This record gives sequence, C-alpha cells and structure tokens, in this order.
Amino acid sequence: MAQAAPVAQPDVELTYEIPEQVTLLSDAWRRIRRNRLALVGGGVIIVLLIVALISMVWTPYPTWLQAVGPTYQPPSPAHPLGLDNAGRDILSRIMGGALITVQVGIGSAIIVSLIGIPLGLLAGFYRGKVDTAISFVINIWYGIPDLLVALILVFVLSDALHLIPRGVLVIVIAFSLTRWMDVARLVRGQALALREREFVEAARMAGARDYALLVRHIFPNALGPIIVQATFAIPAAVLFEAFLSFLGLGLPPPTPSWGAMASDGYHGMDFAPHIVLAPTIALSITLMAFNWLGDGLRDAFDPRMRR
Amino acid sequence: MSAQPSPAITPASDPTLKKPLLRVEKLVKHFPAGGGLFARNVVHAVDGVDLAIAPGETLGLVGESGCGKSTLGRVIVRLQPATSGQIFFKDTDLTRVRGEKLRRLRQQIQMIFQDPYASLNPRMTVGDIVAEPLRNFGVARGRKAEQRVQEVMRVVGLNPNFVNRYPHEFSGGQRQRIGIARALVLNPTFIVADEPVSALDVSIQAQIVNLMEDLQAKFNLTFLFIAHDLSVVRHISDRIAVMYLGKIVEIGPSGSIRDKPLHPYTKVLQSSVPVPDPDLEAVRKPILLKGEIPSPVNPPSACRFHTRCPIAQPICSEVEPPLEMKENGRFAACHFAGQL
Amino acid sequence: MTAVDGISFEIDRGEIVGIVGESGSGKTMTALSLLRLIPEPGRITGGRILYGEKDIAQMTDEEIREFRGNEVAMIFQDPMTSLNPVLRVGFQVEEAMAAHARFTRQQSRDRVLPMLQRVRIPAAKERVRDYPHQFSGGMRQRAMIAMGVSNEPSLLIADEPTTALDVTVQASIIELLRDLSRELRASVILITHNMALVASLCNRVIVMYAGRIVEEGPTRAIFKNPQHPYTWSLLRSMPRVDEVEKERLISIKGLPPDLGRMPPGCKFHPRCKFKVDRCLTEEPPLGEVDPGQLARCWVLMKNIQNPEAEAQR
Repeated sequence: MAQAAPVAQPDVELTYEIPEQVTLLSDAWRRIRRNRLALVGGGVIIVLLIVALISMVWTPYPTWLQAVGPTYQPPSPAHPLGLDNAGRDILSRIMGGALITVQVGIGSAIIVSLIGIPLGLLAGFYRGKVDTAISFVINIWYGIPDLLVALILVFVLSDALHLIPRGVLVIVIAFSLTRWMDVARLVRGQALALREREFVEAARMAGARDYALLVRHIFPNALGPIIVQATFAIPAAVLFEAFLSFLGLGLPPPTPSWGAMASDGYHGMDFAPHIVLAPTIALSITLMAFNWLGDGLRDAFDPRMRR
Repeated sequence: MSAQPSPAITPASDPTLKKPLLRVEKLVKHFPAGGGLFARNVVHAVDGVDLAIAPGETLGLVGESGCGKSTLGRVIVRLQPATSGQIFFKDTDLTRVRGEKLRRLRQQIQMIFQDPYASLNPRMTVGDIVAEPLRNFGVARGRKAEQRVQEVMRVVGLNPNFVNRYPHEFSGGQRQRIGIARALVLNPTFIVADEPVSALDVSIQAQIVNLMEDLQAKFNLTFLFIAHDLSVVRHISDRIAVMYLGKIVEIGPSGSIRDKPLHPYTKVLQSSVPVPDPDLEAVRKPILLKGEIPSPVNPPSACRFHTRCPIAQPICSEVEPPLEMKENGRFAACHFAGQL
Repeated sequence: MTAVDGISFEIDRGEIVGIVGESGSGKTMTALSLLRLIPEPGRITGGRILYGEKDIAQMTDEEIREFRGNEVAMIFQDPMTSLNPVLRVGFQVEEAMAAHARFTRQQSRDRVLPMLQRVRIPAAKERVRDYPHQFSGGMRQRAMIAMGVSNEPSLLIADEPTTALDVTVQASIIELLRDLSRELRASVILITHNMALVASLCNRVIVMYAGRIVEEGPTRAIFKNPQHPYTWSLLRSMPRVDEVEKERLISIKGLPPDLGRMPPGCKFHPRCKFKVDRCLTEEPPLGEVDPGQLARCWVLMKNIQNPEAEAQR
C-alpha cells in the first residue's frame, strides 16, 4: 500500500448530493404496498402466524378433548364454529390446524430451497457436464408421479422403516423430495443468466474465487425470484398435507389437521355441514393468501422493472 | 538489406518500443457460431493479432461494432480463453496460466467495464465493491481496508462518506468512478478499459477522460483503451491500433496516424468523424464505404477490407497483405498503404 | 415536474435546426410535443405550437392524425423497435403510404421500390421482400427514413438518428438526410447530444439544458462565438479527431439537475465556473446577444478574460 497521499484532483466532485437511500428491498416493498391483493394476502398470513403462535400456548379447549358438548352441535355462542363428530371444539382445532399448516408450509419451503438452490447454482454456474447431469436428474424427477411417490415415501419412511415418526416432518420431507425441481430449475436459469453479467466478470477480475462468485454475486441477485418460487411452494405443500390427511394417510388422529377435519365431517355433511366447511374455508383462504402474496412478490421483484 | 531471411518485424517486436509490458502474438479467438445442432461455423472474432504495449503508455484500440476489439480486450485479461497465440505479460505467457496462478496475476491486471450500470453488483454497497479485491487477495482487512477504500474513493473523486450507499443511488459518471476505484485499489500496473466513456453524457465523458489521464500520470499506469469513438481514442492514446473484422489493419503513433493514415480503412474512419467546427465541416468530405461490413463467420479472402475498399486491386483479394512496418514504428496491412 | 419550460422557437421552410443537449435536457420532449406525442401522463400545460397558421396544441385528434401523417415524419434512434419484425420491409413502407390516404393502394405499391432506392438501400429490388432482421442497423434506419419521407412531409424530426450506428454508417445517413431535405424542400429538426453532428448538418442550433433553451443562434455563431458558459464548456469538453496539440479537456463538474429538484436562479449555476452572485437567485432571460443569437446568461462569455485558464482552475 505504499502510495503517496492523494493530491487534490481537478475533477473531484466530492460535494454532490445523492438522493434518499433506497435499497432494492425497500424498492420492492414500495411496489408491493401498492398491490392491494398482495397486502390482503400478507395480512391473512400474518393472522395465520399469530393464530398458530397462540395455539401453542392456548386454545379455548384442548384440541384433542372429546365430548365438550353434544356431537355435531352447530355453531353457538359457547362454540363459535360448533362441535365435530366426536364433540371436539372446532375453533380450537382450526387454531391447532393453523400451526400444522404453518409448520408444513414453511418447513417445505425451506427444505425445497435447501435442495434446489445449491443444485441450481452449480448447474447454472458450471454449465457443461455438471449442468448436463443435474438437468438430467431434474427432468427425470419431473417425470415421476409426485403424489404417488410422496405417498409411498411417507409410508416407507414412517410405517415400514420407522425412520421418522408419522408427523409433520415426514410429510415435509416427502413433499420436498418430490417437488424440489421448480426451485432448482429456476435457480439454474438465474445462475446461467447472471454469470454472464458484467458485475460477475468484474468480480472475477477482482480475484473472486468460484465460491465467492456464487455466494456474494450470483445468489443475492437471484434471491428475489427464489423468494417468489419458495412462496409458491408453501400452498402446494399445505394442500398436499391436507390431501394426505383427508385420505387418512397423513397426520394421525387426533392431530388437528385441516384435511383430517374435513374428512371427519364428510359423513355428516348433509346435516352438519359446518364440520366440513370450517376447515375447508380456512384452507381456501390460506391458499389464496399465499398465491396472492406470491403474485405480488413476483411483480415486485420483476427484473424487467428493476434498474 | 541483409540477404539472410530474418524473422519479420511485427507490431509485437516493434523496435521503437523498448521493453514492452504486454506482448500479444498471433492471438486468435474463434467462437462457435450459434445455430443448429450441426452448425460447424465459427465466428472469427480475433484472427491473428500482434501488438505490444510499452509501460506507462496508452494504446488505443479503435474499430466499429463487431470488429472484435472488445473480445481482444477480454482475451487479454483472460476473461475468455484464447483459441491460439500467446499473450506475454512481463515474462509470463497469460494463455498458459490458469487456476490460482491466474487469479494471483489479476492483482496486476485490471479492467474498467463499459456499462457502469451492469458492472456493479446491485446488492453490494459501494464500500464492499471497492474493497472486494482487497478482501479476495487478503491484502488488507478491517480498519486498514476501510482506510484504503476511502483513500481510493477520494482519488477518483467520490465522497468517501458514501461507502454504505448502493450503486443505483449514483449517476452514471459516479458509477464509472466506482468501477475505476475498484480497478485501482490493488495498485495494478496494467488496465484494460473497454469503452469506459461511451455510455456517459458528453460533459461527464470529459470528467472520466481527465480522471484517467491524471491517474495514469500519478500511478504510472499502462492502459489499453478500447473505444469506437476515434476522437476519444485519439485524445487519450499515445499510439492507436485500428481493427477491422478481427485483424489489426494499422498501428502507430497517434499523431502520425492523424496526419497521414496509411491504411485506407483508417482514412475512411477518420474522414467519417464530424468535427465541432462548421467551417471545417463545410469542406469535409466523408469517404462513404460501399456495402455492409461482412460477417465475421465468413470473412473475405486475403485482405478483409477489399470488398469495400475504394482503392482495391485484384491482388487484394488474392494475397493477404501482412501487417508490416512501413515507417519507423508504423505498421499497416495494405498493398497500397498511404495511396488513398 | 416540468420537463420543458417556456420553449419558443421557429423553424423556416427548408431550414435544418439542431436541438442539442444531454440526457434529461428536455430535447426529446420538445420534439415529441411538436407532434403531441408526449407519453402519458405527460401533457402540454401551456403555449402554442403553430404550423403555418394552425395551432397544433388545439387540433382535434382527427386533425392531429392527418397532420402527423401528411406533414411530418419522425425518425427515432432505434429503428428495430419501430419496425414490425414479422412483416416484410417493403410491405411496411407500402402501409405507411397507404395509411394516410394520399395514395391509392396501387400507387403505394408502385412507389415502394423507388422510395427504397431513393434512400439508397443497395439492391433494393431484391431486398423489398426481406424482413427487418435481415437488414443491418444502417439499412433499417434507411427503411425508416423511407417510410417517413414517402408522404413527402414538409418537416422531418430526427431524434438521435445515428446514435446507435457506427461512424461510417452515420456519415452516410447524415448525407442522406441533407440530400432529402434539399430534394423535398423539407425542414429538419435534428435532436442529438453530438455537437459535431450539428456542425456538419444544421443551419441553426438550439442548446437545451434542464428543460430550457440556454442558447440559440446560427450554427457558425454558436460554434465560433458561444456566449452561454454551458455551450462554451460543452464544445471544449469533447475531444476532437483533428486535435493537434493534446490539451486537457474542459470538464463540467457535477451533474445536470433533477427535474424535481431544480436549483433556484440560473439552472446551470451549480456547475458553472463563471457564475456571479446574481446567478444564484435570479434566472436570466433568453436575451439577444448578437443579431439572431440568444443566450440565457447574466455573464456571457465575451465578458470573460481568458476563459480557458479560468475553467481549468
């Protein structure tokens, strides 16, 4: 660093002003704030999270407690959503189900990202044989009937091999193992495009090793689309769990899964529709909320609008 | 005249340059041309280039779009591998260096990019961008790195208080200063500047050109200055190389090329550039070229300029003129050099 | 925000006027407003645009469409975005003529080839049936010019017509514009950031800065004797291809102002090396400094001794 102290430069422009600080995230936030549906979606998700948190410490009745009143009792002041076929308080079970939903959704988004992001980055960055191999696996995986395989995975992992107890974790793993390709393919595309960008070349000139290029330059710039893709994985995972539990292949009773609850009320639908309606509506609102938020995020992170 | 056949003098062995810092010999860069599965076409982006750059000088590389000048610059800094040929930096052949050794060499060879918007990572603060080379090479850390970053920012005319700002908060000219600061922070000896001012407004261009001249004088930098604008290249360069369709057609001192271009293409280029003086403009007669620039996939035989050259003769399509020394330090690849 | 503020100028028949300025100076907005083509949500908030006796600002939509088609042609920087990629070039030229009902279908069809030849597209006969992507940048610009002049307009507005082109191609497009304006007896407005281009083509120059005209006058006067410090500095900030003695370029420090945050007084004063106290508070009018030459400055370059030394300080 032996260098003379800088003398004054004739072209120095040290006294300029620059506009208020806007980071890219705050820019995205500004854009999403203008998107009403995304805001509604975000609001619903916040409510869902709060309800899930509360349910960990308090529900009006224990979610498993049977016969708190007459079975099939319709909504009443004491039980705003009524009682189910075993006389359990549906409001309490909806709250408990929110926690399950949040766990399944966020857990799946995380694991899907953990599998998809590294594979996508490697394929897109190194291209050539690495890409051929990873892309081959991705394409094979897309050909697999995911629902069927996930079902078999849940059965094999928990019932046949007893590796993981039947619960949220096994569902999350089964889902992620069959649905990681969307994230991987997206990240691959991002990495392919980003590696050609001038700032990545500039970083190479600055002596960055491959690891630094990937972690410092390519990944952060692909983050927006990744968040969007992960957001869309959440409703898919939630629906998957509900579907399995509805079939009786998911979470074991008396876990208050929304899918299982809908299944509980299935046979009483003609005279006690509230048992089916409550979890179905909760599920629908949740799915819609995540899709709206995902759409909003996609618009907010849209690279075409970013400069 | 000696009877002994001696190796021909090329711009790489230019006797007027004492001890070149960089020497490029017979450099070739071909790309597979995009297209069908069975396409066997290649783009002759750089096709046998010889040149040398002396320490402390600025060599301007000028040519029109698609002539291969940017590719040449990128191959020289090894952002792209050469197809064949050699690049000697001091005594190292850059085409043979790879991996960690290549990375280490980048401490001495830096690049300034054309697009001040695209060449800065939008997710990093200016301070991190300028500090990155220090960090990658473990030159300085923590407090010392911070000091060095602020010092360099001051040198390029950026307010050091803005280290925590993001690139998009700056104007084009300021961003280009950030890019220059990043290239400068390791005290390199050689900098390739690829169209560093062409994305900037006129009044800002002058700021950056002046800055580069000041930096060169202060830090004894050697520049390869690539641009399509002959006026800027002429102003900043000691010597100029003119490129057409993957080959250098003329190379020599800036002043003597201005006074007497040897290659017809140089002459055409020079006559096409308008001058901000209505009296001179009234008499300037641009030499208009016929036809379009041929495709670098299928370059014309022999002299590549013969399809458009105003003084082409039959020999021009049969025998390729070598880039040979016509006068002291002046090279041109033309059978009829200086006759247009 | 006001992009363009209080612009007044006239263009005579057959005259070639250059509007120069940097990005954000309002030069393109000025030209677009002549055709009432300002992009939403912009609008003209005041003033008149007289074409002959007609006020363009007051025309109905129908009239303005007529006017754009028959009297004016506009040529843009990037011809690729103005040409439809899936239609043959010849057909697009024909459409341009037929759209304004000056010619019948058959007449339009017959005129395509002569038009392409007129703008000097080589081997025009074979290339009529080409698609835009088969044309080079220069040829596309020629095709655009052919579409523009096919209705024999009396005003041609060229917005940075050669900025995307190589300099050898630029030379031939400029020649073409000069010849066409002579043949059609059409006026031309050349919008550009390149002062040298103006020197080669225009009779008169308008220099814009921060949405205002800062100097205006005959080309020769502006180049030989610029009075506004901005014009003066701009001319000395560009390197010249015929430069003999290497001189340090005069740079204009800082940046043009944000449209939303205009400085008080003269809009150029924060970057001006010759400013006086009055410049900080009071905006100068566009006053006549010589017959036909106007400048918006309290100081004027003729009142400065040895400006070069002053500017390099």
